[in-house]
Amino acid sequence: MTRAPGRFWSNVKAVAYKETRILRHDRAFIGVIVAQPIMMLILQGAVLSNKPANVPWAVLDWSRSAVARRFVADVEATGYFLPPQSVASYDEGRRLLQQAEALAFVVIPETLARDVERGQPRVQLLLDGSDPLSAARVGGYIAQVGAALDLGTDTSQERRPEVPVRLAGPVDIRQRFWFNPTLADRRFFLSALAGMLLTNLCLSVMSLGLVGERESGTYEQMLALPTSSLEIVIGKVAPYVAVSYALMLVSTAAAGVIFGVWPRGSWVTLSVATLPFVLASLCGLLHPAVVRPLGRDLPLPVHAPGRARDRRALPPPVVPDRAPPDHRARRRSRRRRRADARVDPALRRLAAGDPLADEAAAGLVSSEEAW
Amino acid sequence: MSWRRLRTLLRREMLATYRDPFTMSILIAVPLVALLLFGFVLSTKVKHMALGVHDASDTPASRRLVADLSASGTFDPRPFATREELEHALVSGTVSAALVIPPDFARDFGRDLGDPTPGSVRPEVQVLYDGGEAPLAGNAEAFLRALITSTGASLAERHRTGGSNSAGVGVVTRALFNPTLDGVPFMVSGTFGFVLSFLTTLITAVSIVNERQAGTFDQLQVTPATAVEILLGKILPLGAVFVLDVVIMMMIAGVVLHVWPHGSFLFFVLVSAFYVLVSLALGLIFSATSATAAEAVQKTVLFSIPLVQLSGFAFPIRNMPAVVRWLTELLPATHYIRLSRAIYLRAAGPIALLPEIGFLVLFGVILIGFALRTIEARG
Repeated sequence: MTRAPGRFWSNVKAVAYKETRILRHDRAFIGVIVAQPIMMLILQGAVLSNKPANVPWAVLDWSRSAVARRFVADVEATGYFLPPQSVASYDEGRRLLQQAEALAFVVIPETLARDVERGQPRVQLLLDGSDPLSAARVGGYIAQVGAALDLGTDTSQERRPEVPVRLAGPVDIRQRFWFNPTLADRRFFLSALAGMLLTNLCLSVMSLGLVGERESGTYEQMLALPTSSLEIVIGKVAPYVAVSYALMLVSTAAAGVIFGVWPRGSWVTLSVATLPFVLASLCGLLHPAVVRPLGRDLPLPVHAPGRARDRRALPPPVVPDRAPPDHRARRRSRRRRRADARVDPALRRLAAGDPLADEAAAGLVSSEEAW
Repeated sequence: MSWRRLRTLLRREMLATYRDPFTMSILIAVPLVALLLFGFVLSTKVKHMALGVHDASDTPASRRLVADLSASGTFDPRPFATREELEHALVSGTVSAALVIPPDFARDFGRDLGDPTPGSVRPEVQVLYDGGEAPLAGNAEAFLRALITSTGASLAERHRTGGSNSAGVGVVTRALFNPTLDGVPFMVSGTFGFVLSFLTTLITAVSIVNERQAGTFDQLQVTPATAVEILLGKILPLGAVFVLDVVIMMMIAGVVLHVWPHGSFLFFVLVSAFYVLVSLALGLIFSATSATAAEAVQKTVLFSIPLVQLSGFAFPIRNMPAVVRWLTELLPATHYIRLSRAIYLRAAGPIALLPEIGFLVLFGVILIGFALRTIEARG
């Protein structure tokens, strides 16, 4: 087959152009593309956090001593806690835990002041373990306040409230958080944002590919055109790659501008690493073997957005009335299509009726829908 | 409302669902995959975190510190001979926290002894965290600080010859309802909320839109069946399948993940059944506003983002800004997940949970009312 080398790119461009035109009219797709990043950006940048805040807690103070009050004040001063609820009995505290109205319940024994003199003061901390992550952190904070509590000779004096609580224990802990100095959860979330968005995008896109064409019957027309399968694949994938890159750049830039989370490494590396990811996701999903079994009436995001009605401009499909073929027949039909690659378009169109037939039988391409 | 007509509709819907192998496999497979995925892989870990240790001091004091860290079960210390090796492990992600004990660690305890002035040298340790893994680093921080401070206090105590004791207050911690702070029950009880909300909405929305497109929904509407009958005929069979799903999930969670509800099995199934009805009604509303199945699916997927992130399934609601905390109350899933955790983990009974159940009933009445209207309006 002799073809001018320029033909290849012009064919690719033609398919890509057609794909872009369709995409532009797909309102559901555009909605998803626009709404999803905004939603995720707000949620992950400003709303979600693993850092405990507003922790409700209860205190049962049997000792009524200055040390106990200072301990409670120090815990509250860490900033993670709401003002403590004072309870009068052990049962009341346990009830608060049971009803999730308190996450932590501190029990200060009657003998605390005396224990301080003896050198082994202890308080009890009951945690609601049903949320292990929060419970563990809160437990850590309270234990730390206890360990660092200054029981020096001035136990009789109340600390003046304006003096900030210094959590200076006997050991000076020099902590450093690499890569994320303030340990903001936001950095952790937003750095993965582009990846999540692209995965979702690829999921919404996949049925726009060959399944959508099969369903609306334009696949045969495309096969009848003088384009090779490579040209079709490249032409179909290219617009989505462009959309993916736009999405990646916009979401990364938005995270930077709004929340100050810019990539620390190089943009070039990020862009280069994105390409194989996008291509792998898109091409894998365009492959008929993957898409066909999923593309039936499956309630996952594989349905083409606006699969039927937005394609009114396209001619009606050939819907032969046949029983669904089994796998072998499907494979046979694929082989036949390959063999027929150079046959007269009109003949090929008849031969390629197969893949559509089982879609039709599955009740997807009803005549109303196809038109 | 005629029972005979309703029975016919129920039979029709049951057959349609049962004979659609794809819906059936989705109904069975998705809950199981979600359960195992969230239970095994994604459950947050607060025990046995890898901790790199470079002990340049290598004295009884420093060894005592490391031993105390591993004794709590929170950390699994791994020794590193040089600081470079340690930093390399941190960068490559082998460990997410590292402790460096300087050579003069033990000596500083001694020096601290006779010098109580504020400027005196306190023994130092350095702790490095991989801040890229923010949640892990946050957990490690809370524990490490507490453990090092308490060990340091008792070491300092030993060096002190007498007089003032500033050893701090020991905090004896006990976690109720989940003594080992295992992450799996938390995730499993939340997964019910996620799966039920997502799948129910999706399946109803798609099934009704497909019926509308195939024209069989119009046929239903010209039969003598009333809107209530059509609604019940749609919701009850699907609801029954989902309740069966709940029971299957509970069994799998119990047998495979060893998570059984601490509260009443029956009560949980009842609450879930009611929640399924609420969620199915929401699916009906989605279907009414979508022209194609694809649109309904896209809507459900968009809806599932706040569902996962705001319902308290993965992130505690109390950590969110106040305005968003109010918004989360408007999601039925928030209340169901709270109920599910309360029954699964805290063995709460119906009386303690009355307010949450009340919320669900309220949502149910509103959503089912809306769903009825959409069925009538489209007639």
